[in-house]
Amino acid sequence: MKRRKFIRNTSAALIGLPAALNGLSLSPIRQSALLNALNPDSDRVLVLVQMIGGNDGLNMIIPLDYYDKLYNVRQNVMLPESSLDHFDNNLAFHPSMKGIRGMFDDAKLKVIQGVGYPNQNRSHFRSTDIWTSGSPAEEDWPTGWLGRYLSDNHQEFPTNYPNTEFPDPLAVVIGNSISLTCQGSVGNFSLPLTDPFNLGQLASGGDDFVPDNLYGDQLEYVRLTIEQTNAYSERITEIANLGSNTQTYPDTGLAQQLKTIALLLAGGSKTKIFIASIGGFDTHANQVQNGDPLQGEHTELLQKLSGAISAFQADIEGLGLSDRVIGMTFSEFGRRIKSNDSNGTDHGSAAPLMVFGSCVNPGVFGANAEIGDEVGTQDGVAMQFDFRDIYGSILEDWFEVDKDLVKGFLHADYQRINILNPCLDPISDTSKIAEESLVVNLFPNPAHSYVNVHFESERERVSVTLFNAEGILMDTMLDRSLSAGKHEMRFDIGSYPSGNYFIRVVCSGLRQSSRIFTKI
Amino acid sequence: MNRRHALQSLMGLNKGLSEPVSAPRPINVGLAPFTGPWTKEHAAHLLRRTMFGPNLEQINQAVTDGLEMSLDKILADPGIPDPPLNIYMEEDPNVPIGSTWVDAPYINNPDILDYREKTLASWFINAGAAEGVSVFQKLIVFWHNHFVISEIADPKFVYKYVRTLHENALGNFREFTKAITIDPAMLRYLNGNQSTKNAPNENYARELLELFTIGKGPLIAPGDYTNYTEYDISEIAKILTGWRDRGFYTTDPDQAVESYFQASRHDTSTKTLSSKFNNESISNAGAEEYSNLIDVIFEQEEVSKFICRKLYRYFVYYVINTDIEQNVIEPMAQILRDNDYDIAPALRALLQSEHFFDDLNKGVMIKNPMDFIYSGMKGLKMNFSSNPFERHSFMLLVGNALTPLQMTPFSMPTVAGWPAYYQEPTYYRIWINSVTLPYQQNITDGIAWAGFNVAGFLNAIDPLALVDELPDPYDPNKVIEDLGLILFPNGVTENQVDFLKDALIFGLPDFEWTTEYANYIADPDDEELANAVSTKIKNLLATMMKLSEFYLS
Repeated sequence: MKRRKFIRNTSAALIGLPAALNGLSLSPIRQSALLNALNPDSDRVLVLVQMIGGNDGLNMIIPLDYYDKLYNVRQNVMLPESSLDHFDNNLAFHPSMKGIRGMFDDAKLKVIQGVGYPNQNRSHFRSTDIWTSGSPAEEDWPTGWLGRYLSDNHQEFPTNYPNTEFPDPLAVVIGNSISLTCQGSVGNFSLPLTDPFNLGQLASGGDDFVPDNLYGDQLEYVRLTIEQTNAYSERITEIANLGSNTQTYPDTGLAQQLKTIALLLAGGSKTKIFIASIGGFDTHANQVQNGDPLQGEHTELLQKLSGAISAFQADIEGLGLSDRVIGMTFSEFGRRIKSNDSNGTDHGSAAPLMVFGSCVNPGVFGANAEIGDEVGTQDGVAMQFDFRDIYGSILEDWFEVDKDLVKGFLHADYQRINILNPCLDPISDTSKIAEESLVVNLFPNPAHSYVNVHFESERERVSVTLFNAEGILMDTMLDRSLSAGKHEMRFDIGSYPSGNYFIRVVCSGLRQSSRIFTKI
Repeated sequence: MNRRHALQSLMGLNKGLSEPVSAPRPINVGLAPFTGPWTKEHAAHLLRRTMFGPNLEQINQAVTDGLEMSLDKILADPGIPDPPLNIYMEEDPNVPIGSTWVDAPYINNPDILDYREKTLASWFINAGAAEGVSVFQKLIVFWHNHFVISEIADPKFVYKYVRTLHENALGNFREFTKAITIDPAMLRYLNGNQSTKNAPNENYARELLELFTIGKGPLIAPGDYTNYTEYDISEIAKILTGWRDRGFYTTDPDQAVESYFQASRHDTSTKTLSSKFNNESISNAGAEEYSNLIDVIFEQEEVSKFICRKLYRYFVYYVINTDIEQNVIEPMAQILRDNDYDIAPALRALLQSEHFFDDLNKGVMIKNPMDFIYSGMKGLKMNFSSNPFERHSFMLLVGNALTPLQMTPFSMPTVAGWPAYYQEPTYYRIWINSVTLPYQQNITDGIAWAGFNVAGFLNAIDPLALVDELPDPYDPNKVIEDLGLILFPNGVTENQVDFLKDALIFGLPDFEWTTEYANYIADPDDEELANAVSTKIKNLLATMMKLSEFYLS
């Protein structure tokens, strides 16, 4: 029996203790610390921060090696070089992200570059569905990625929930709507709340049998929602009263959402997943204002994001919960490399994603977005990492989900990425953590009719794929087992129109996307 | 169950992607006209789905009228509603109280903007509250959710947009699309006003195809969404260059809110669409070019199906499986095309169909927040003030109540509109959750009990009058049943009658109600007798509106 299962099965017997401790009027912090000691494994928490609208990653984490090329094609939104907050030779944060910069320096931030998926969809709704469901771009999946994980451990849900073992909602959205990330095949695991002190008891009763038809389904849904709201509300208010924050948060929507999450955690909530969100990233126009790239909507958004996340992290540390909590940002897509005439940027492809907390394996993972001399109007940032590999790595390393199950939840080609710090993950293999990179050489570049691809692999399955600059998978040029050693392969690309393309090589648990420019 | 099946089950994949989660529903009726017996249940279903909050009198009238005449009334075009007025602002030099501000300039005073915003909001909400038997306001809400604008800061722009909806709601879908394409608020919302030949902005072009006309099909090749391609989007963006708006928040009395075409910003090249549109070439036609483009888009049959699916999801149910597609959507789309895209005949065919009146379609819709609020207030004949300021104040309050319920007009979550009408797999269920339910129960308690005292006027129902007009007010069972016809989609069940009788007469035998009610009728001016009966009815109504059945339509 896996340790995870064992602990979960015994925790029911211990459930009486916290209630008994309440009577001793310990401080909320000490109570939750005691809860930790009793139940160290099953109370890991993931906080998702959804950046709605499609974040311009190129204006958040700026690739300095391509500054000039970027400047050429997005002059009207480009930050002046002098304003950039360099954090290594190659990269800089947007200057409004002081708090996040501080977390980076304190080794509490992981930046993963170029996160997306093959066949990038540029519709907000469809791409949000893809990110929340964790489906391939070509398939509609009716469940969410976290919903599938939760369904596996809670197969009866929503029947008999809450119960003594799981007194809290399994997932909480700070907001007015459920999250599709938590959609299971039967119900949605997320409970929306805005004010934890004000979840009133709803009247119920008078429920007759439910007919076995669509009307009955909807009726059942409303009834169950009423029952669950009642079942959870008392407990949530109790927890909120027990908790207290250790930090002052900025007066922004996102910061207040994260404050509520910290408050619930401080009060002893056993909710595993919290979801906060910040809208407004769809910056087609007025991304910068008054001709000053340091002003405008994107600057304000990044400032809010940074202020909220850094206050939350400080609070979590102040509460002594930093070993239990990580957070992750996501957005439905990045924006295009070229800006538009409206001082904005249009829907693009991949973008950086941030994972934060004391337990992350800190630093930047992945190469800088490559910008060529010629950039097409439609060109986006190339995908390096499939978002499902990030989801999967969190499921595997943070929630200790079996790797095969992770593949089933997400995709068969799932590959683990070292997002988390091994010191907090006793079962993981520390040798995996070393930052490795895959060296891929392409020549000639620019190419005309063919390209040679150079790389080295173990004896293993290797894939080489070709993407266009809009993130569309054009061709799988190789997907088979190779012997160990250096490889040089020649691929015909003469049939594709001129422009920027990316050749993505995946092997040895690593992946590399390299730009190739083709001319006919 | 093997592992693969277990996983598929976890992922919800074994259910079929767009099929309902429950047992498959036998569909054996299509768009053929309903010919069964016309009962009060049928009349109530028709009114509940087409108007906001039908009351008993309206239901009874529809029974008398029959289906045909009821539909004549429901689909009659009411003409352009009167514009919003200055109801209370004394400091607007350009608009006397009682006159409209929709063409008046601003002055440099934020209070002017504020009152116009508020009177616009209350005007929009009041339109639904004041309406009788008509689909018009529900359609306006439908079209607002279809041709979305959001967060446009000048109420004159928003009014002009609503007027475009008014002018076209029951008109011609193609001409409607043309009008909305150059609507000043839409030009601002989707950045059409910033689209020039040197930098065409694709925002509107993309939504015009994906959300407004033809819809996005499966991705079948790079950049190819079955019904159109990325290439079409960039060509359409060029076609639509040159349009701008003016009059935004203007203080110039001679500057109307309007859109205009600036030839110097227009791309005059010949644009060619993909094979999805028969490689149609669209040559430079200046200010007429957008209209030519929309004519080309509407040549595709898919446009008619796309809008029919949306109407279906709004008026009938959200699952569109193969049966519904073939037997309802396709014939309805055919009617739409046969009528050159006039909306009313196709909508009428849907609303008078066997399918619409199929018992299995009753009660499967979770009411949207507007429908929810109105069905309590109007269904129970709440008395609204006729004094403009009192009326405005209350309607503003109703509008504010929609915000936590996620349905604020002119403030859409995204350009796709409210997720309840497109988001798989939850659809309407999105309206209901732990945050909305306490608000909703507060509202229905307010309707049943104290009413809403706003600006010195008590907006309240009259529980005695309500029961007096029931066919058999002396029988508590009948009282509950008849109120159930107004409030619930499938009436009350026998067990519920017993539960609800407890709320009405607190476990006393039936004759006690009969006696109490008879006493009050015998002496209606006796306040004590009247109050005793009234309190019990209020408790019954509050209890009924808390039942899950009330949330359904």
